Amino acid sequence: MNEFWSDIVNFLSSEKVWGLTRAIILIVIGIVIAKLVSTTLEKLSSNKMDNHRVMLLKRGSYYLVLILFLISALNELGFNLSVLLGAAGVFTVAIGFASQTSASNLISGLFLVAERPFTVGDVIRVGTTTGEVLSIDLLSVKLRTFDNLFVRIPNESLIKSEVTTLSRFPIRRLDVLVGVAYKEDLKKVRAVLDEVANKNPLCLEEPKPLYIFQGFGESSLDIQYSVWAKREKFIELKNSIHEEIKNAFDEQGIEIPFPHRTLYTGNDTKPFPVETIKNKQSD
Amino acid sequence: MTDETHKQSSWWGSFKLEIEQNKEWHLGPLKLIVRRLKSEWQVAHETADDFENLNTPLNSPLNSPLNTPLNSPWEINNTEQLPETLDNNSRYILHDTTGQLIITPQLADRPIISRPHMPFNLAAGEEITLYVSSSLWLELAIGSTPSKVLKSIAIQRLSDTWFGPSTLEGELCYASTTHCRLNLEDLPKRSYKAITPVLIRNQSKTTLLIERLNLPTPLLSLYASSNGQLWTPQVTLTREKDGDMAELKIDNHPPEDVGIMEKISDAHNEADSSVLFRAFNTVFS
Repeated sequence: MNEFWSDIVNFLSSEKVWGLTRAIILIVIGIVIAKLVSTTLEKLSSNKMDNHRVMLLKRGSYYLVLILFLISALNELGFNLSVLLGAAGVFTVAIGFASQTSASNLISGLFLVAERPFTVGDVIRVGTTTGEVLSIDLLSVKLRTFDNLFVRIPNESLIKSEVTTLSRFPIRRLDVLVGVAYKEDLKKVRAVLDEVANKNPLCLEEPKPLYIFQGFGESSLDIQYSVWAKREKFIELKNSIHEEIKNAFDEQGIEIPFPHRTLYTGNDTKPFPVETIKNKQSD
Repeated sequence: MTDETHKQSSWWGSFKLEIEQNKEWHLGPLKLIVRRLKSEWQVAHETADDFENLNTPLNSPLNSPLNTPLNSPWEINNTEQLPETLDNNSRYILHDTTGQLIITPQLADRPIISRPHMPFNLAAGEEITLYVSSSLWLELAIGSTPSKVLKSIAIQRLSDTWFGPSTLEGELCYASTTHCRLNLEDLPKRSYKAITPVLIRNQSKTTLLIERLNLPTPLLSLYASSNGQLWTPQVTLTREKDGDMAELKIDNHPPEDVGIMEKISDAHNEADSSVLFRAFNTVFS
């Protein structure tokens, strides 16, 4: 019995247990310091950076401090760190091959964060998907489309494809395409369009509306009339200005033609000859 | 102050409403009806479009609504009409026993851009005073100290505009519906608009072409003269010698040559100092 007790005492006083205790203490201290460092950094940077960067900084500093303490703890336990790191390197290569897509997304995610083409809350268009950015994560970007669907887009495809940020600048241009009949006076049409834009309070006075004659179309004179609006009022302007242009054209007797075909018989004045044949079968 | 004194002097201030009483304001293009019910206030308003625009001739007939003489430009009536007949209706539930409605005129929360009737050149070393008239907003509040703000209503719907060197750089502003004038007499005096004297000094060696002027209304406070006309302090814009910067100075008192004035409302944003420096192309264009 005495031997058993002395064994235990010997074991407890041995270097191994002492090392283990130190390792545990290091890890606990590490967690506390990591938490402290990350919260301090978060507080210091919260009014200088946007939410996304603050979150990244917080997480990054937390894990960096924690890993440093973990390595010291392993050192205390008697692990040979160079061997351990070498093993980790081989392991990483294996994992890398196995999870090529995820790794590619991860690297793309880092580039995306560094390049900052958009931030959380921006409205972006990727391919045919348009939506508000909910979060930019390491593997993917999450969007909420305007019909309230949740879309996850892998970072890799964002890096590769064209991304349009709709909410970058405070003003946007709306291109109104309108065709008028060949008989209309283009000067009058232009004056009517200017009047409509002038009366609409959503349409910016400056930059001035842009009038472009697009060409002689099949059934109409094609005109592009571009007006500027505050970004948030874009849809409202799109709805109101089309309606107002239609009303103003109706009021001024300006025709918006639909595609039509004129059959020409080679003679300006005579109508197209139409003949009805009766009792065709009896002939 | 009672209703009666306000009826004679101004359309703003404090008004007392009994339960189930309506009050109606006709103020330029704005029609506003406020109705007090038991623990509820209803506000309805409507703004006439096309009330005035930039193309109004300088000397339009005096009997037109545009040039109503300043002594009777507004009306306050007690009415039986229910607010539901107007475009914008809102209801506010609050337990108020005072029946006090406080109406405060306010300037726009964005800068206002105005143009002279025709662009003009200001020769090197010259200075000129322009008079700019800017449309106002009404702030409705209920009860005495502290009063609860219900909403802010634009008396006139102003068109948005962009002011800046490009579509990337610049700020969103409101476009003024009236031209700025070189003579104060030419400026239509309206009770629902505030007048700002803008002194422009050209200290550079080149001529300054003035096509549009950016009036920093969010930095201006509002004063009323004894005849009910609203004024803001004078703004001095100086084009510096090097030509790239403009100095913007806002007086901390109302214009002196107009008479005794009473302060009506504070500026939206207090400027850090009375003298600001801005890039030249953010003030003139």
